[in-house]
Parts: sequence; structure tokens; C-alpha cells
Amino acid sequence: MASSEEHDNKMVEVLNNQFEKLREAMDEMFEMKANGLNVEGKRSSAALLFVALKHSNREVKRSIKAGRDELHMEKSKVDLSRLQLQNLLYEVSHLKKEIIRCKNFGAKFNLELLSDEEYSIKFPNTPKEQPEMSSHKKHLHRLECELKLRKALDSQYNILLSSKQELLQDNLSQAQRYTSFAPALRTLMESTKPLHDALQLSLDVEWKLGTVVKYLPKPLYLLFINMQSLQRVLDDSSFKAEVVGFESDAQMQELLMAKERASKQSTSGGERRHFLDENNSSESSMENLQNRSLEPHPLHIKVIIGSADSPYHLLLIIRYWGRLKCTTVRAEFCCSSNNNHQGDANFVQDLLRHLYPNDLGDEIPISGIDYELQNLNMTSEDCMDFLIKNDFGYPYCWLQSMCSIPTVNKSKLYKHELNLHNCTREVITRIRSRWNSWLKLTQQIRGLTYKDIDLYSLKENIYPAGLACSLVQCTAITLDEFHHQNADAINYMSDTKCITYSTYRAVVVRGSAKMECFIQIPSNYPMEMPIWVLSIHWNGCHTSKNNSAIKMMECWTNSLQPKHLDPNDNFLYVQLFRTIYSFDIFLETEGSMQSNIEYNKEKPYISAFAKRIRLRPYRYIKKGSVYAFKQ
Amino acid sequence: MKEKDLKRAYNNVLSQTISTSQRFLFCGNLLGDIFILDLKELDKGTEEPPGKLKLSAQGSDVDINCLAFHRDYLIVGAIGLIYGLQWNEEEQLLSTKRAWEVKIPMQVDAVEVPDVNSMWLHSDTDTLYAGCGDGVIYQISLEDGRIQREFRGHTDYVHCVVGNANGCIYSGAEDGTVRFWNDKEKEQTAMLEPHKNSQLLRPDWGKWIGAVAVNDDWLICGGGPRPAIWHLGSLECTRTLDFPGRVHVCDFVDDCVLLGGEHNHVQFYTLNGALQSNIPVEHTACYSSVWQTTPFKFMSISGFSNKLHILKDFRFLDSKIDLYGNVEGKDADTDESEEEAIFCGDAL
Repeated sequence: MASSEEHDNKMVEVLNNQFEKLREAMDEMFEMKANGLNVEGKRSSAALLFVALKHSNREVKRSIKAGRDELHMEKSKVDLSRLQLQNLLYEVSHLKKEIIRCKNFGAKFNLELLSDEEYSIKFPNTPKEQPEMSSHKKHLHRLECELKLRKALDSQYNILLSSKQELLQDNLSQAQRYTSFAPALRTLMESTKPLHDALQLSLDVEWKLGTVVKYLPKPLYLLFINMQSLQRVLDDSSFKAEVVGFESDAQMQELLMAKERASKQSTSGGERRHFLDENNSSESSMENLQNRSLEPHPLHIKVIIGSADSPYHLLLIIRYWGRLKCTTVRAEFCCSSNNNHQGDANFVQDLLRHLYPNDLGDEIPISGIDYELQNLNMTSEDCMDFLIKNDFGYPYCWLQSMCSIPTVNKSKLYKHELNLHNCTREVITRIRSRWNSWLKLTQQIRGLTYKDIDLYSLKENIYPAGLACSLVQCTAITLDEFHHQNADAINYMSDTKCITYSTYRAVVVRGSAKMECFIQIPSNYPMEMPIWVLSIHWNGCHTSKNNSAIKMMECWTNSLQPKHLDPNDNFLYVQLFRTIYSFDIFLETEGSMQSNIEYNKEKPYISAFAKRIRLRPYRYIKKGSVYAFKQ
Repeated sequence: MKEKDLKRAYNNVLSQTISTSQRFLFCGNLLGDIFILDLKELDKGTEEPPGKLKLSAQGSDVDINCLAFHRDYLIVGAIGLIYGLQWNEEEQLLSTKRAWEVKIPMQVDAVEVPDVNSMWLHSDTDTLYAGCGDGVIYQISLEDGRIQREFRGHTDYVHCVVGNANGCIYSGAEDGTVRFWNDKEKEQTAMLEPHKNSQLLRPDWGKWIGAVAVNDDWLICGGGPRPAIWHLGSLECTRTLDFPGRVHVCDFVDDCVLLGGEHNHVQFYTLNGALQSNIPVEHTACYSSVWQTTPFKFMSISGFSNKLHILKDFRFLDSKIDLYGNVEGKDADTDESEEEAIFCGDAL
């Protein structure tokens, strides 16, 4: 620009110059003319000045043209960029519209999409998407997958629907076929009736029994049917289930329930009340209301466990509580002979309590029961108190499982047993085996306390050649007396919040020495074994705290496990003999060092002591005809 | 009673040893478990509780009667068998594979496999002296595992073997004698019979010698008889110590005498026989003590209980460390499976 301006200025200067020169020439010529001089030479030189002027004129025109061209070029550039700008603006508005549309779409359908991983699991053959995909693209991909998935599911649904239709059709045709048999069967039955009578077959009896069953509430019905089928399949006579109660009661209740429902419908929105409540609801106290609303179903199931030839049976009474939506079981000890069995009643409850770990039955394991009871102004604790007070038993989770009632236990674990057959079978087996081992244990305890056992002839007596000691006494003691004994065996016992213990004290005597055995029997026997704490009175009192030999003795007795002995052995007796022989060995080995010898070596052992701990030969080894006590 | 409770109630730790690096303590019990304690835990101050122990199970049929440590091997004395386990200090890992085994030969008239009751390691000559249940002390070369020599003379099983640097070996046994041996002589060089000393005899407790300890001039021994200090040169009993229980542990510690055994205390006496400190312990009986003065001072006493007793100044009880129940990675309750196992054992 500057150069063109300069150029212009130059041009102006040049023109001005030329004009000046021309005027000068004109003036000169005029003067010369006026003076009458010859101007011809001057005129030709002045004419030459016109040539230069013309040249300059052309120059000017050229530069104007060039300027105009430049201007045009710049203008077209501006036009182009303006056009582009317009385009962009249009594009922006279009995209904005698109975005709004997408948003609207999203809001309208609001699909719940699965994550990428889940889709890639569902469609394993789709190519793995690139990790650098934008979130939008990812979303699109997911949508695509979702569409695919839905299509697949839709086709599946259609297939299932058609198969359902087919099955229905099939079902219908089969049913028609069966109903077509009915008249023929009826005539057959009628025609063979005389034959039945003649043969004295009573086909109706079982059916009649079944009619009561029909009135059982659903959970108990399931339980009963399962038990019955199990019993028939296994051909097992060691347990038996019966329905107790009258048809009429159940019918009555059903009627009343129906009535209550009807009345509730008519006075909808009113307070929930029990069926009997409607006449005298105003004067009935809260307690009455509770008692009445907490009423078991009139029918209950009685299960008798125990073989037919045994005089002792375990009786389980299983009731269903409509309000609590659960079943409870109470165990009873049932003895055909008239012996006095004090304390035995307690252990049958323990047996059920410890059937499964952490299932003590001290709360109602039904989800949401607290909320439902609120409507009756009750809490689940009240209900538990009521059940316990009236001796209706406990709502164990395993029992609900047997009845196919879903449970929520203390650790908030939901469980709904569907394999009822296996579950029932397992529970029955478990109860039965526990029952048998408890029965054995109580017999042993009775044998010890009444001393009506012959220690010499018992098969648990491992070393029949000699029993130098005698059991002089065995009595029940309180737990405090037991804990008065200070032994590591007690101190190191795991925290047992729910297990109760019964304790006994047995006294074994040999000569001037006396051994006291404090025996602790846990309520969850046989999951835990009885513990023995020993103390020997002979030349002072020796316990596991002050004498390592006694501690080893205790260890030897307490480390006995059921797997170490024959299935038919009585555990407590084996422990007793172990302890008695250890006592003998202790006296005989200790006696060998005494200055005045009271106890001679009678047992066959090789060395009295071994190892730095001076371990005594408590262990009895029998190989063929060779037997010995060893360390 | 559950198995873990049983183990805790009747844990009997017979032996302890400290690694060559003096950084780890090994304890072996009669249930075949070796506990490994990082000694750093003891040194790190009293506020924070010590970390958990490592456990290396040798199998329930292995009674760990004694332990020793040589170079990077832990030497285990079991029944009729001495074996070495490699200890990897870097990874703090005790090899489960036995690096070598030495079988104790059965005597012709023996009916039982002899226990290895006590081991004394002479590091300078790579020799191990093992006092065994057959009353023989075996001298074992650790270079090739060969039994170099048998020291015969005891008429009952050996409780304790110790020695000193100039090749003398001293052993105490159930037969009531302490015998002195020398590398160069076949027969014993001298013998003590503390039960023949009426001052030492405790008639009801027998004549056995449970523990022997020596320094350059003096020897302590005790067991059924009262513990006493004897002069090595003259074989005279110079001082009787009034430890009230049976003796299973004795040692010269600094200028004191440590005594432990079947008593609810361990006691320190001066060489003049005066009681210096009386430390209560939970063990029904103490069976082992190990101690060191560098890099830091500590003593650990173990016995028939589930606890190690730690003394830092050899005068007062400093802390007790649980063994079972304080083991890395094993504390998770396995109640359920255990219970099932018991239940299955019950006859249906």
C-alpha cells in the first residue's frame, strides 16, 4: 500500500513537473510570439513534452487497474470466509437440535443398560471394542447390544410361549383322556365292590386318615407328606409322624376365618382383629387379645423318634402359628417304663437347640415379622416369651426349612429350602443320631451315679487283667463347684455362649490314695466331649496345676475322641477306664520311688519314666496277645 | 473339647533355641509343632503388643524333645532321630523338607525306640552330643552325619548333656548320676551321685538328675535330689540350693544360678546360695530356658503351658507370649468343619 501511495505521489510529482514544463514552454512561446520571434523550434520541443505526458497518463491508468484487481481479489476472499461462517453456524444449530432430540429420546425410554462387561459376556463373539472409544460411542455400542439382547430374549420368549401353549394343549388332551376313563373306572369299582367286601379289603381306611391331613396348614402338610413318603421309601420304622387333632376343629377354624375375612371386608379399614374378637372387642384386655391371636393351628404333628423295641422315645410336637407364619417344635422325653428320669427332660431341649450351630431358636426367624406384629401391638420378644411360657417350644430355622418356610437367621442370611426331601431326611437322621448318642450318654451317667455297672465286665475295660481301683461315688455337682477347680482345661475353653454344662464328681480310691474326677458334660454332646479335671489326694494334693504327671493324665483322658474308639463303645466309660488306669500307673510309678512302698508295680510297662518330662506309660498298647502300657 | 482348646490347654514346650543370627527364637513342643518368634518383636518397646508367631508343623507323631541351631540349620531331636531343617533367614521360612537325618541306632536289648532327650552342640568342631533314651550319649559329626563315638555308662535314660570348650562332657541321667567324660578317654572320668548325699536326697522324689550346667570351675545339678553347686576339681558339694520343686532347668546366668522345674516359680540364686529373685510362672513345670545378652538382653522360659515367659533383666517377669492362638494365619475358626468331622464319627 505504502509503495503504491509512494508511486502515486511520484506520479503526481512527475505530472506536475511535466505540466510546469509545458506551461513554461507555452509561456515562452507566447512571449516569443508576442515578440514576434520564430517559435517553430520551441514548439517541436514542447510537442515532445506531450509524449511524455501521454506516457505518464498510461502509467496512471495501469496502476488504477491494478488497484481495482487487488480490491476484487480481497473482496472475494472475504465473501468466501463469510460463507464458511454461515455454514458453521448452521451446523451448530443443527447439532444443538440433534442433542435436544437425543436427550428427549433418552428421557422418554430411559433404558436400564447393563455394563460393558456384562454385554461382552452375553455376546462373546462381538469384537472387543477399542479402549479409546468415546463415551458416546460406548453408549451407542451398549444400546446396540441391548437391542440385540432384547431381540434374543424376545425370540426366546416366543419359543417358550409356544411351547407353553403346546404343553397346555397336551395337558388338556391328556386330561380329557383321563376323564374319559372315569366312568369306566367307576363302574369297575362298583362292580368289584362285592369282591372287596368278600376279601375284606378296606381301601377306604387310608383315605379316611388322609382327610384330616387335608386340613393341615400348608407348611405342616408339606412336612407331613414328606415324612410319610420318606418313611415309606426308606421302609424305616424308627420314626413315625402323626396328625393330632380333629377334622371338625380345623373345619370350624376355616369357617371362622372365612367369616372374619368377610367381616373385615365389610368394615374395611378397621382395626385388625381376631375372629372371636368382634363381639366383645371393647372389653377384651390386651393380654386376651394376644393370647387369642397367638393361637396355634388346631391340628399339629407328632413325630415319634426311637426304635420300636427301645423303651425310650423322643416325641416332637410341631405346631403351626398362622400369625407368626412359622412352626415351633417341642421335644418330650417319653419313657414306657415308670422310672424316674429327672433331668432327662432338659437334655431333649438341648438336643434340638444344638442340632445346627447358631440355630438356638430364641427368635422368630421370619423376615418382616416385627412389622406384622406391630399391627397387633406386639413385639417378637413378647411372642417368644409367650411360646416359652406356655411350653410350645422354639421356632428353629431347620424346622422352618423342613416346612419350606423361608427364614432369615441372626446373621441376616436368607434361606428358602426347596429340596425338602433331602432336608427332611438330613434333619431326621441328625436328630436320630443325636438322640441315640444322648440316650447312650444318659445311660452311662445313670450307670455311674447309681453304680449299677460292673466295672470288671464292661467291654470298655481295656486291660481286664486288673482293676486295682474302685469307683466309690459319683454325684452331680453345681457348676460353681466345678469351676472351683483351677485347671488349664477350663481356662482355655473356647467362648461358648450358648452351651450349658452339667457337672459330676466321681471319686476313685485305691488304698490310701483318692482321686477326684470332675466331669463336665456339654449340652451339645456329641459335638463336644466331656471334660475331666483330676485331682489326686495322696501325700498332699496333686492337680494339673502343681504336678505335670497329673496334667499329662488329664491330657490323655481329654484327648480321647470318638474316632479313636469303636462305634459301640460308651464314651464316658472309655474315659473312665482311661482315667482309672492312668491313676493306677501314676501310683505305681510314683510308688516305685517312695521309701515305704505302698503300691507295687502290677501293670505291664517297660520303663516307668521317659523323656525329660518323666512321662509315665499311660498309653495302653495291645498287639495280638502282647500288651503293655507305654509312654 | 475342641482340638484347638486341647492344644492350648496341654501345650508342652520342651525345648527352645536361638538362631545363629540371634534374631529368631524356635520353640518345639510334644505335639510336633515348632513356633518361630521374631525377637525384634520383643525389642520394639512395650506399648504395642508383639506380633504373631510362625508355626511349622512337623506332624503329630513327632515329639520335639530338643532343639539346637547350627549355621543355618535348625536341628531337631525327636524319637530315635535327629534331623536338620534349613532356615531361610531372608524369607523367614523354615524348610519343610528335612535336609539330613541321623538315626539313633537301636541297642540289641532295646524294646523301645530311644528318645533324643538332650543335645549339646560344640560349634567349633561341628560336633553334636546327643543324650538319648537308651542311656547312651552319641557324638555326631555334623559334617557327614556319622556317629563318631558312643559314651556308655549310664544305666537309665539321659536327661541332660552339656560340655565345655576343652572337650569335657557332663551328663545327668535318670539313674541318679552325673558323669564326666573326656574326648580322649573311653570310660567316664568322674561320677557324682547326689542322692547319696543325705543333705541333697529328697526321698519321695527319687534320685534322677534332671539338669546339669557347668562353667570353668563349677557344676550345678539337680532333679529329684536338691540342686547343688559342685567344684569340678575336687568334686565336693560346696553349696546346697533350696529350690522347693523338682529340677528340670539349671544354668549359670551372669554370676547367678537359674533354677526351674516343677514349681510355680523360677528362681535365681547367688553362688553363695542366697535367693536373689523369685519369678512366678504359669508352667506346671519349666523345661527350657534360653537367654542372650547381645544384641539385647532377654531370657525366655518355657514349659508345660501355652505361654513363653520373657525376662529382660533376668530379675522380673517382663511379658508372657501365647503360643497356640497367637499364630499367623491359623486363627480363623474352623469350627464348622471340625464339628462335622466329629459328628460323622458318631455312630448313626
